[in-house]
Amino acid sequence: MKLDDMLLMAYVDGDLSPIERQEIEKEIAASPEAAERVALFSASRLPYNDAFADQKLPPVPESLTKKIEALARAHAAPTASASATASSDRSANDAHIEHGATMPPSTPVRSRMRIAPAWLAVAFVAGAFCLGAVLRLAPGLNPAQGAFTTASNGPSPWIRAVVDYQKLYSRETVAFGPVDTETSAQTVAQIRQDDKLSLRVPDLSSAGLTFKRVTRLRFQGKPLVQIEYLPPDGPPVALCVMKDMRPDAAVAQATVSDMNVVTWRQDELHYALVGGENRGLDLMAIGKQISGQGVDQLFGKASSASAAHGTLG
Amino acid sequence: MTDADLPSLLPGMLPRLWAFALRITGDQHDAEDLVQRACVRALERAHQLRPGTAPLSWMFSIVHSTWINELRARSVRSRSSMQWDDALLETVADPAARSPEDHVMNGQIIDAVSRLPEAQRVVMLLVAVEGLSYSEAAEVLEVPVGTVMSRLSRARQAIGAHFGVREGQKMKNTVKSKGEVS
Repeated sequence: MKLDDMLLMAYVDGDLSPIERQEIEKEIAASPEAAERVALFSASRLPYNDAFADQKLPPVPESLTKKIEALARAHAAPTASASATASSDRSANDAHIEHGATMPPSTPVRSRMRIAPAWLAVAFVAGAFCLGAVLRLAPGLNPAQGAFTTASNGPSPWIRAVVDYQKLYSRETVAFGPVDTETSAQTVAQIRQDDKLSLRVPDLSSAGLTFKRVTRLRFQGKPLVQIEYLPPDGPPVALCVMKDMRPDAAVAQATVSDMNVVTWRQDELHYALVGGENRGLDLMAIGKQISGQGVDQLFGKASSASAAHGTLG
Repeated sequence: MTDADLPSLLPGMLPRLWAFALRITGDQHDAEDLVQRACVRALERAHQLRPGTAPLSWMFSIVHSTWINELRARSVRSRSSMQWDDALLETVADPAARSPEDHVMNGQIIDAVSRLPEAQRVVMLLVAVEGLSYSEAAEVLEVPVGTVMSRLSRARQAIGAHFGVREGQKMKNTVKSKGEVS
């Protein structure tokens, strides 16, 4: 850009001092080209704000409002009772909102960003984070019955939460862009240092899983690590880790909310390997490989804690 | 502002995020998915929000970068090759509020901004519509301030040329008369 243009815009917008104005006006008088640009900038002084305020945009879709509220609730991680009370007036019909009135039924779906079961899945994120809310989302289910109760032998609440979270992920969610090795290494360092988790990021390339990113999350105020991998086909796979002081537990497989989950506890860490429907992947075998230290680790320039962890295997 | 505040702020910001997303995508379905994805990303990265940054600007930034990623994924290089939802360009006459002339003018302004190239359009939306400063817009777009000003300059010249046929002559006269006065 010509330096002039900044000055000319400021001139047209009345942002110059009187002395500067005089200087510019001399230049305009001497240069037809400058005068032409001033004319253009002047003609572009329009009531944009009013015009756009006058623009009748479709209202925020109710489905979106509810999704964002659910996400916000999930991340605020309030106590179960508080959140259940706050949202107890929610309609049991929420799940029908997806085809709202603002969406003409004939409109073709052009977006490839669509996360298919979005509302329901987000609702489950909230539900899982907030426990009690889950029951509310299954109207007619007696709290004492069925799969929605968190029986003591069922998956931990945080695993249910990450499973429902992972359901929101499509390949596109993690496929964008190159892997940011530097940021990932920094994140791993923060996890080890700040979150005090002696995390190993397993290199699962031998199982066909490409590392995409590592993310710090929180569940009820405690650190939760999510490591995303991308298989050659199908939805992404996450290895999620939380601190857990209970004794080690062997690798076990379960189905949670239609997702395949392999869990184990080892060295005060609770692991959950979460994946969607994918015949090409044996999560159980991968879980055993990780727990058996049968794989290398990425970002291995570890602190002493994780180095020690690495040698235990 | 701490990262713990973000979840409580998001619902309140939603109308502006929705309007911004609608305006940059030009499509309701895209806008809805975009806002949702941006909120997921923001909540996951809430700890990266620096104390000096306005949460709304930060959210605009995430919405914008998420959309750019999406466009790249679709291999769409230019806005013009996308199908624009013409329904969004329409403004609905509100006879009680404004004169028909104002209404037509507003429609033309929105139309002119909508037809700018992607990069210039977003700068105009941030600066002229959302009221961000040049430096705030630069932060949102992760470009130098000079780039923001350069895009703004080109955008304004394009819009000026669009309105100039009718308005320009008047403005020229105004400038001339100002020149004579001083």
